[in-house]
Amino acid sequence: MGTDLAPTEIIALAEIVDDLDYFQILHLPRSASIGEVRKAFHFSSRAFHPDANRHLPSEPRCAIEKIARRVTEAYSVLRDPRRNRAYLQRLEAGKGKRMQLAEAQAEAGRQAVEEKGRTPQGRQYYSLAEADTRRRDFAAAARNLQMALTFEPDNELFKAQLKEARDQT
Amino acid sequence: MTEIGLGIDLGTSNSCVAVVRDGEIRVLANAYGDAITASVVSFKEDGVITVGNLAKANAIHNPRHTVYSSKRLIGRYYFSPEVKKAQAIYAYEICESENHGINIKVRDELFSLPEIGAMVLREMKSIAESRIGQPVHKAVITVPANFNDNQRQATKDAGRVAGLEVLRILNEPTAAALAYGFGKGLKQKVAVYDLGGGTFDISVLEISTDVFEVLSTCGDTFLGGDDFDDRLIDLLADEFSADHGINLRNDLYALEKLKVAAEGAKNALSFHTEVAIRIPDVIESDGKSLSIERTVTTDEFSRLVNDLIQRTFKVCDEALQQASLVTADLDGVILVGGPTRLPMIRSAVTNYFQQEPQSDVDPDQVVAMGAAIHAAALVNKDRSSFLLDVTPLSLRIGVAGGLAEPVIERNTPVPIEQTRTFTTFQDHQESVKIRVYQGESRRDDENELLGQFEFSGFKKARRGEVEIDISFEINSDGIVNVTAKDRETGEQASTTISLSSGLSDLDMESIIREARTQRIEAVPIDDGGNALEPRPPDPRAQLVMIGVMAQTPGGETVAPAVAAARTINLEERPAMNVSSHFVPDLEMAPDDGPTREEVVILSEDGEILGTSDTKPDLDEVEPSAEDLFESPGSDLSGPLDEDQEKG
Repeated sequence: MGTDLAPTEIIALAEIVDDLDYFQILHLPRSASIGEVRKAFHFSSRAFHPDANRHLPSEPRCAIEKIARRVTEAYSVLRDPRRNRAYLQRLEAGKGKRMQLAEAQAEAGRQAVEEKGRTPQGRQYYSLAEADTRRRDFAAAARNLQMALTFEPDNELFKAQLKEARDQT
Repeated sequence: MTEIGLGIDLGTSNSCVAVVRDGEIRVLANAYGDAITASVVSFKEDGVITVGNLAKANAIHNPRHTVYSSKRLIGRYYFSPEVKKAQAIYAYEICESENHGINIKVRDELFSLPEIGAMVLREMKSIAESRIGQPVHKAVITVPANFNDNQRQATKDAGRVAGLEVLRILNEPTAAALAYGFGKGLKQKVAVYDLGGGTFDISVLEISTDVFEVLSTCGDTFLGGDDFDDRLIDLLADEFSADHGINLRNDLYALEKLKVAAEGAKNALSFHTEVAIRIPDVIESDGKSLSIERTVTTDEFSRLVNDLIQRTFKVCDEALQQASLVTADLDGVILVGGPTRLPMIRSAVTNYFQQEPQSDVDPDQVVAMGAAIHAAALVNKDRSSFLLDVTPLSLRIGVAGGLAEPVIERNTPVPIEQTRTFTTFQDHQESVKIRVYQGESRRDDENELLGQFEFSGFKKARRGEVEIDISFEINSDGIVNVTAKDRETGEQASTTISLSSGLSDLDMESIIREARTQRIEAVPIDDGGNALEPRPPDPRAQLVMIGVMAQTPGGETVAPAVAAARTINLEERPAMNVSSHFVPDLEMAPDDGPTREEVVILSEDGEILGTSDTKPDLDEVEPSAEDLFESPGSDLSGPLDEDQEKG
């Protein structure tokens, strides 16, 4: 266990690790599922976790610590679906390759709210539909979701809920 | 000689040591053949220190100079509520040291908490050395998951004072999961319910073969088995006060007797539905000696402690939520800690998790076993398992308005590094004071202060114009580094957070040089590792006993085996002998007749002072940037969010 890299390679990797995005750090395609993220994290940890590299001399061990911190950072962002999406958007916007967790979480929170409607009307009809669903009145829920979708035709959550409501009726 | 790493569970009430040898996990028993040793240190008049069961037996004669439950105090500030509470109920003297730390005063000597911890660790180390037959220098020591950085550092200091290289401070529930899942090739999600003497922790882990990933951990450092004892003590003391108008809590000796009786009764209630407590001569009043006689049933005890048990499930809710799991997702529940033997806790846990807890795990030994596995993994290069742990508490920076802004949220995997940007609160501010907190409150004073440092050297500017990046780095040892950096000049200052109320390196050196922790009276173990005979008499057996006696069908009471060990030297004030040692001595009863078990209390010379009329049958017992920093005279400002940074 531990890394197969030579000490000089470890040090070199630590130097460029900040130029890698989180998918590159974990050797993952950008389309990776959450399950794949977790597997990749375990795989990288086996190589770079400081516990697995205690026997190294101090300089490469410091480098390993830095790599390990980035591996955990990458995992902490990518393991949550909303944070993961926020990070992809950041990469596509070219805003940098690291994302602080507080920022990722704030962005994820914003998305969670947005999912329930970006427009006041969308949100209104969606919450009516939620109430209908709780009453198990799926026909009414479907009507309200249909209305919500006229304001936000791309809302994935609305679409999924509408399908669900129609299946129930 | 192969290198050996011990696993030590340094508990509030009891400690346990284990080791992995030739691929096998062995729990190392003390001189009395017990897997667990009392975490008690007693100071005799002649300067000799006793540790463990001997010390615990001494508590009743020498309460002022016997230190127990010191884990509740380690790494805490003198002004903390826990310390105030301990001062009110502990018989030994707790006083303030420099920097708001605490010392224990024994006669004219002052001892720091790490020194007391070191005495227990030294005892565990010497037990291990006698059993293994060679010196040991390395160990993994476990702490409650919810311990803060100050408490972890102080525990690490204790290890150093005891002459141990502390390979790792490991969370107790994580260790338990490691012992449970090691080498079994499991793919499971498990919850570890850890109710110790002084703390409660719950951890949720995902085990995938060799990887033990902690998903979340939550806890309550103010809740443990001791609190269950306290409820019984309160019951007995309040009733006594109502009957006789005397508050037993004001008498050290009486209080010690109550304590022992309560603990013994609690332990007996793990096996019996009803237990009789009898404490003769608990106190003298007007030349008359008064006694306590009382029967406690499991139902009554359940009512006394029900709110405490319910409190643990609130914490469980939190942990599951943080792991994004529900109880149905769990493949197993592991119980850790002596109090989890109580049937009322087992049934409450079964009810909450909707499944029976694992029964093949010994709640007293599992933590030390896990620590031993991890110690072996750390001293050997060929690792067969590894741990991915989380930080149990959020790390925060103090900002203006008495607030504390999180930089790393709790349950973030470690090692990790996070940065947030803060700014100045006043025009032309020259320096900022960076205060580092740990805890879950938005208010700074409700969190634990880990340390503080000043940062200056940035340009003087209008408030809000200076941008300071503060980075927190937690390494895999859980040690926190904090760096402050001026974005414009790149000027930086950093500190490694270390216990401000604890020991400096200088203190450590002098403590190690003085070697006070080495005045421990040893109880020899001379078998080199296997045979347990001859074993010295267990000093606890000479004290009053709350336990089970067998009666022959003819009604003749059979004295328990402990009577053999009656050589106690009653120093100081003679007191009746109390034992918390539970002796289910059933083998003396003939097999053919019905047996009645009784709870008896022995006097110091072995005379049976009382027996209960209870008839519990063992088989039938139901387990039933805004503005951030304070410069001198100024206030600070919180983190800048994205918009402000752009603006």
